[in-house]
Amino acid sequence: MTNGPLIVQSDKTLLLEIDHEQAAECRRAIAPFAELERAPEHMHTYRLTPLGLWNARAAGHDAEQVVSVLLEYSRYPVPHALLIDIAETMSRYGRLQLVQDPVHGLVLHSLDRAVMAEVLRSKRTAGLVGQRLDDTDVVVHPSERGHLKQVLLKLGWPAEDLAGYVDGEAHAIGLQQDGWSLRPYQEQAVDGFWHGGSGVVVLPCGAGKTLVGAAAMARSQTTTLILVTNTVSARQWRDELIKRTTLTEDEIGEYSGSRKEVRPVTIATYQVLTTKRKGVYTHLELLDARDWGLVVYDEVHLLPAPIFRMTADLQARRRLGLTATLVREDGREDEVFSLIGPKRYDAPWKDIEQQGYIAPADCVEVRLTLPERDRMLYATAEPEDKYRLAASAPGKNTVVEQLVAKHEGEPTLVIGQYLDQLEELGEHIGADVITGATTVPERQRLFDAFRSGEITKLVVSKVANFSIDLPEASVAIQVSGSFGSRQEEAQRLGRLLRPKGDGRTAHFYAVVARDTVDQDFAAHRQRFLAEQGYAYTIVDAEDLGLSAGASEGEPGDGDTTGRATARDD
Amino acid sequence: MVTFTEHLRARGDDELVALLLQRPDLAAPSPSTLSSLAARASSRTSLERALATVDASVLQALEALVALTDGGGSARRDDVAAAVGAQRAPRDRLDRALDRAHELALVWTDEDGVHPAPGLAELLGPYPAGLAPATATQEPPVDLGVLDDAPAAARSVLDALTWGPPVGIGPPAGSPAAAAVDWLLERRLLVPGDARHVVLPRAVALALRGGRTHRAPATPPEPAPTGVAHAEALVAAESAAAAERFVRLVALLVRTWEQTPAPVLRSGGLGGRELRRVAATLEVEDSEAAFVVELAAAAGLIAEDEEESPAFAPTLAVDEWLNDDLPSRWATLARAWATTVRTPWMVGGRDERGGVRAALDPELSRPWAPRVRHAVLTALAEVPPGTVLRTEAVLELLRWRTPRSVPPEAAVAATLHEAGMLGVLGAGALSPAGRALLEEVDRSAHALPTDAEPGITPEAALATALPEPVSDLLLQGDLTGIVPGRPTPELAALLERSGVIESRGAALTVRFTPESIRAALDVGGTADDLLAGLAAHARGGIPQPLEYMIRDAGRRHGQLRAGYAASYLRADDPALLAGLVDNPALAELGLMRLAPTVLGSVASPRELLAVLREHGLAPLAEGPGGQVLHPEPQVRRVRNVRRNAPHKIGAAPSRRPDTLTSQERAGLVAQLVPTLREAEREGSDAASGEERRREPALANPVSALSVLREAAAQGREVWLEMVGPHGVHQRRRVRPVHVEGGRVRVRDEARDAELTVAVHRIASATPV
Repeated sequence: MTNGPLIVQSDKTLLLEIDHEQAAECRRAIAPFAELERAPEHMHTYRLTPLGLWNARAAGHDAEQVVSVLLEYSRYPVPHALLIDIAETMSRYGRLQLVQDPVHGLVLHSLDRAVMAEVLRSKRTAGLVGQRLDDTDVVVHPSERGHLKQVLLKLGWPAEDLAGYVDGEAHAIGLQQDGWSLRPYQEQAVDGFWHGGSGVVVLPCGAGKTLVGAAAMARSQTTTLILVTNTVSARQWRDELIKRTTLTEDEIGEYSGSRKEVRPVTIATYQVLTTKRKGVYTHLELLDARDWGLVVYDEVHLLPAPIFRMTADLQARRRLGLTATLVREDGREDEVFSLIGPKRYDAPWKDIEQQGYIAPADCVEVRLTLPERDRMLYATAEPEDKYRLAASAPGKNTVVEQLVAKHEGEPTLVIGQYLDQLEELGEHIGADVITGATTVPERQRLFDAFRSGEITKLVVSKVANFSIDLPEASVAIQVSGSFGSRQEEAQRLGRLLRPKGDGRTAHFYAVVARDTVDQDFAAHRQRFLAEQGYAYTIVDAEDLGLSAGASEGEPGDGDTTGRATARDD
Repeated sequence: MVTFTEHLRARGDDELVALLLQRPDLAAPSPSTLSSLAARASSRTSLERALATVDASVLQALEALVALTDGGGSARRDDVAAAVGAQRAPRDRLDRALDRAHELALVWTDEDGVHPAPGLAELLGPYPAGLAPATATQEPPVDLGVLDDAPAAARSVLDALTWGPPVGIGPPAGSPAAAAVDWLLERRLLVPGDARHVVLPRAVALALRGGRTHRAPATPPEPAPTGVAHAEALVAAESAAAAERFVRLVALLVRTWEQTPAPVLRSGGLGGRELRRVAATLEVEDSEAAFVVELAAAAGLIAEDEEESPAFAPTLAVDEWLNDDLPSRWATLARAWATTVRTPWMVGGRDERGGVRAALDPELSRPWAPRVRHAVLTALAEVPPGTVLRTEAVLELLRWRTPRSVPPEAAVAATLHEAGMLGVLGAGALSPAGRALLEEVDRSAHALPTDAEPGITPEAALATALPEPVSDLLLQGDLTGIVPGRPTPELAALLERSGVIESRGAALTVRFTPESIRAALDVGGTADDLLAGLAAHARGGIPQPLEYMIRDAGRRHGQLRAGYAASYLRADDPALLAGLVDNPALAELGLMRLAPTVLGSVASPRELLAVLREHGLAPLAEGPGGQVLHPEPQVRRVRNVRRNAPHKIGAAPSRRPDTLTSQERAGLVAQLVPTLREAEREGSDAASGEERRREPALANPVSALSVLREAAAQGREVWLEMVGPHGVHQRRRVRPVHVEGGRVRVRDEARDAELTVAVHRIASATPV
């Protein structure tokens, strides 16, 4: 028994005590095979999952290394059954291989006849494989490469894809590191991706995922297809690429609802690719329009189901997935693993924050007590209306007003779900409103004005959830959201995390109606961030009024007890 | 030449005491004389029991001896050694085996050599050591030289029969094998058995075997190389973790059933649905739930109550058990496991009639269950510490240790599994606590010297293996808490009360939710108490979100109030009601003011109406919708219920003689031997006295059998008194030929006839 920093639980969680002197060393050692599940202030929780262990195998680690790391750092004896399970799980990876056969083309090769027999007997592989060559080899149609990998993963025999990638059409791309350079973690992320061939890079919002994409393109030196969530994001990618790389405007095409350009580097939106006309995806030809050498998926946690299916056909091309939160509310992480690729790089948010690459943030939940009348209305409302009723409680306007006043002069975003609520808020605090209905040029204009400091307040709907780069925004006030979505909460905080010029702390407020489903959803939404180490402070709206009172002249309600104490009925 | 009985008589007192301790069935109930002791020692059941305890080397020696002395007589030790092929190095083992057999009175020795105990041959089957019985006529010496020109097929026929069994089915006529068999029959290398079989004569077999009875001397198996030998620290830690978990499961079961006892099936036992409910509560598989339930019952922690519709509920013993520390709680369960006759692994299987076997079913007791557990643990204790033995390896060891009573594979596998769940094993190897348990069982149930040094108790062994408890709690902003080790009982109770346990193991992680905090407040205490309790352990203080949540839960707690009222009284006029609450004449109604216009009462609506009317008020009864009711007078009927006799389970097990402690047994046996000698002396001194009126020692049918066996072994004649089918006594002088399975074949030399007599017709047998 050592006095190590790690506690290995029999339910396959690993607890890492981060104040321990060996903690950093231990974290590096377990990171390749254990998934970071929670990273609050004292103890980080990692989990051993088959996916994580196979990831490690894919990255060249074997079971012996994993076991010896656990034994080395564990404070208590490691449960024996767990070690056996690790060896067992890891040995399942790679018994099947996808290889390129000079005669037969793509072939599924097995190092173990029994495994081959087992997977071929499964109904799920029927139709995905062709002629059987012998006991250990079977032909695979190239178009089924992705599907087969997916099915094999589900069957518990993940295949090692050794069939390689097509080179793609060469195209010179270089990074222009004038006055800036890639950060160490970005370099590591690109290296991790490139050595692995394909896969996903997980970095916090604001940590420069676009640059990881650009660097990967520079490494690849080929034509590239970039898939993004929406048009505004597509334009930001284009601007960033022009600024950071040797690419010129003519080399970059936009393939969206409004424009259909195919150029050596093409940026397409998910939406246009998934548009169907008469039951047919009309823009699929884009995928074959050029011999792409690299496909980049931005915000891979949002990848819609049709794109998964299309991606299954792109297995011969290098694929890079980028995300801040590899939590999918639909639980399709395993499809990301088998179709885009394993996770190649991951960094806890707080680590990047400590290195100063993202701004520190202070998260506050403001609890608003509904007035008597609203409470009665809420209590008797139909269940399906309750969230909307609570989330758009009129009292929130006052709270928002106080918060805006408190941060007067700082670039502030007010984010919400319901359009009428947002319109009302816009009027209340005298700010412009951007929703899905706002035209793209108008959005661009307002975002530009916000970036330049011309306006400091902006009310936005969920259009601003992702990929909107507003570097100077330092205060966000969330009044409502898509129920309990954890990744939405994280993405919204992400809007604030670009490091500020003066290094100031960002403030994230969630205004929540007390004793309603709004509060329950808020608790769920905060979970991801809380697990990343962002501890929410909870304050009562009444106390907020008091502290803001000084600057605003708002009359205090006289309640001077501590903000966290229970208020009397 | 002496007989077995005489031999026993000649044994020293110490030897007799040793014998009675080794074969406890001989001493209980106490035999009256040494002759009846001898008779009992040569009875089939007693011999069977004795044989069940010997290892393969003893059994082999006995087989060889019986084979060599077929038809009676004795053999010299050297002959036995030669027969099993143990002349050289393994000779000590053979000597030890024969000594052991002697100690158990399975053989006896005189100047001629070693004799098998009477009756032993029958137990070793018709072909001891795979040899055909000797024929009465002296066979000519076997000349194997003829085999030089034997057909090849003949040779292979002999090979097949050489090491037994010596009987083969005759091949169909005309086949090549038939020719070979005929060839062998012609030369008397085979003899015909019955119509379809041929037999390899004993002398031929011995000649083919080179005079041996066995191919090789029996040797203990090497500890099966399982490839796994764990560090002792790991074994101890895993066993401690399993023990802690198991104790927790039993406590959880008790806690669940003390609230809602589980109904008993009509046939006794716990229904399948109830078992699944337990499994769901404990978050374990059904089979493990069955083990938990069974062991809790075996330890006397749960039992059937005495209620009208019987249910399983915790016993009074539970309160004491719950107050014990973890090691003591565990030891209680472990001791119960080691000694219980229950067979939890059979739960869920099918009985002979195809019904599913229920947990706690009274049928699921098997007297041999503790012996299997003991045998398995002993096997594990014999390999080096930390070695993992799988079922097959344990069975292999048991086949060596007790070849006559190898437990079924399923029982061994189940025992290993149960031991693993209980923490008697850790990572598959015997844990220090398990070893201590075994030693304790050995000390109390087996004849270890009473002054043997008391070893470490299972409690102490487990306590050593448990990691130091930790009273630190790390509370985090994501509303989780972690105890980086085994929590102290106090901390564990606090967390169990106020949080949701997320992960157990070397450490404990817990999540606080509004519901869990509410549950903590429900059982008493305030938000401040809870905060103070957490703060006392929290190394880094209580994070603000958690503190806020607890206070918020405290604020909401008790906003609704519930109470008991059997009826209510409402009126539009508050003044009318106000007068009633304080009226002392209405005190019996227990009126309380709920609101200005509503009173509650503990009396039933009927009573309320009656009393109010008595006092001159004019109330009306109303239904749930406010409609006026006019209640009918109440009439009563009862259903005539027939009750089933309840099955009882969990009653304190009665003490069987073989569960006496070693001291008690040794004391009893020590008193017994002089009594036997005394009885023997009286018997030989004078054939007078009430008991010895008609040669009582021999009138006893069991001793008659032993007389017949001894006579058969020595070819002597006896006087046999028989009762005919019509109740007529008959006395004949006969020479017993063979005694087996309830029949005696005797030869009446005077009439030159052989007859077979059923044992129950034998009144007495007296040596001539």
